[in-house]
Amino acid sequence: MLHRRIYQFLIIYAIGLGLLLALKYGLNLSDYVIPSPDEIVRTCRTYGGPYLLAVLNTLAVAVLGHILSICLATVVAVIGRLTAWIGSFIRTAAYNIQAYPIVAVAPIIFILLGDGLQSRLLIAAMICYFPLLLSFIGVFSEPIREIEHFYESTGRMTWRLQVKIRAFENIQKLTTVIVGSATMAMVGTIVAEFIAATAGIGYSIRIALYQSDLAKILVALFLIGVGTSLYLVSLEWAGNALQKRLKSL
Amino acid sequence: MPIEGRHISYRYPNAAGEVFADLNFRMDGPGFHALFGPSGVGKTTLAKMLSGTIRGFEGTIADDGVRRVLYTYNLERLPGWSNVRAHFEEIAPLAGRRRMEELIETFGMEANVGSRFHRLSLGQQNRANLIRYLLQDFDLLIMDESLANVDEFTREKIILKVKILFPDRCFLYISHNVAEVAKFCSQVLVLRSRSRSPQLVAVQGCDHRESAESDPGLLERAMLEIVHAA
Repeated sequence: MLHRRIYQFLIIYAIGLGLLLALKYGLNLSDYVIPSPDEIVRTCRTYGGPYLLAVLNTLAVAVLGHILSICLATVVAVIGRLTAWIGSFIRTAAYNIQAYPIVAVAPIIFILLGDGLQSRLLIAAMICYFPLLLSFIGVFSEPIREIEHFYESTGRMTWRLQVKIRAFENIQKLTTVIVGSATMAMVGTIVAEFIAATAGIGYSIRIALYQSDLAKILVALFLIGVGTSLYLVSLEWAGNALQKRLKSL
Repeated sequence: MPIEGRHISYRYPNAAGEVFADLNFRMDGPGFHALFGPSGVGKTTLAKMLSGTIRGFEGTIADDGVRRVLYTYNLERLPGWSNVRAHFEEIAPLAGRRRMEELIETFGMEANVGSRFHRLSLGQQNRANLIRYLLQDFDLLIMDESLANVDEFTREKIILKVKILFPDRCFLYISHNVAEVAKFCSQVLVLRSRSRSPQLVAVQGCDHRESAESDPGLLERAMLEIVHAA
């Protein structure tokens, strides 16, 4: 059975494609502007395989970047909870940096690091890092007084225990934020590839754009949608399994 | 180990009025004492002052010989990643394992310690919370509504057993139950509203113990005194 995320995407994709075709036939546009269904199917058969590999390549970079930003956000949030002023400083800095479009910094990264894996990874991580950080700081800075009181008053509280309590109590919130930021990691990677990289589905879209080949772009979008949905489904599944396990223990 | 508060005045930051103005009290030695009074008069505030959570008040609290004060309240929770017994074992010193079993039995928790805290009823949760505090090293344990939602029979059994198990420790029991504080506590500190003077009045309780016969006349008098003072 298809997961709801996947069939939601399929429905949206079908509606979008239907609108495009309605526009094509309603305004009598040529196949050069909007390809016919035959052309789209032909392109899918020809480029489906290579594009699928490109999507997997992009997905791998997005997952790596996502993991990197989760780890980094956890470390910074754990440090940020130490004192009120460090937490406040990190939170303010994160808000300000988040307000700045990271994509605008991407050319600098490509100039400095080249158009290889590092640049794509860094941009993907940067795009999903700040929303993650803000949520993580919120979670790790907020005391769970009714649990922590005992450990504080008996002198048993350690930083590991404090982090464990706060993470455990907010596991649902953390899972939701991680799933939400996964889309941003994927978007960041594709945008990075689109700007300057030489691999991934973003790069393929750039080539298709230069060729004004909308059929290729539609095929790429379809595969991106399915790939992203599958990643989100996996994360949701892992999050639910973790929560279920913690509750049943 | 008497605990004596002198000329205590306190106002919460940004609050309009003072909670206490020139408050004086004295608790004599080990035993089961009570802090009684209507809601909002400052029972929890005074408890937090005694435990050192609230500082920066005027006046002094002299507690010579009281090394460790613990404060527990009825909304506390145990972490959810292990069952209640595993949690007790984690926080109880090895030497205190026998006492742990004894407390589990007295508190009527044998059938529940294998469960997670969130699966327990409110009364069971409060009992589990109190057990873990009793397993700690303390000189004064402040129990802020710690036996709320526990039935009367079990509450009585628990208080009497605690008196037997910890004869050399001091307990300050915060409760709204007049009959209970009058019956089981040796000294009842009745805290009154800020407009009344003195703000705290000490009433002698019956200090009922397991082996002793209770005197209904004495209990009635203590209850009347408490109600009158409040």
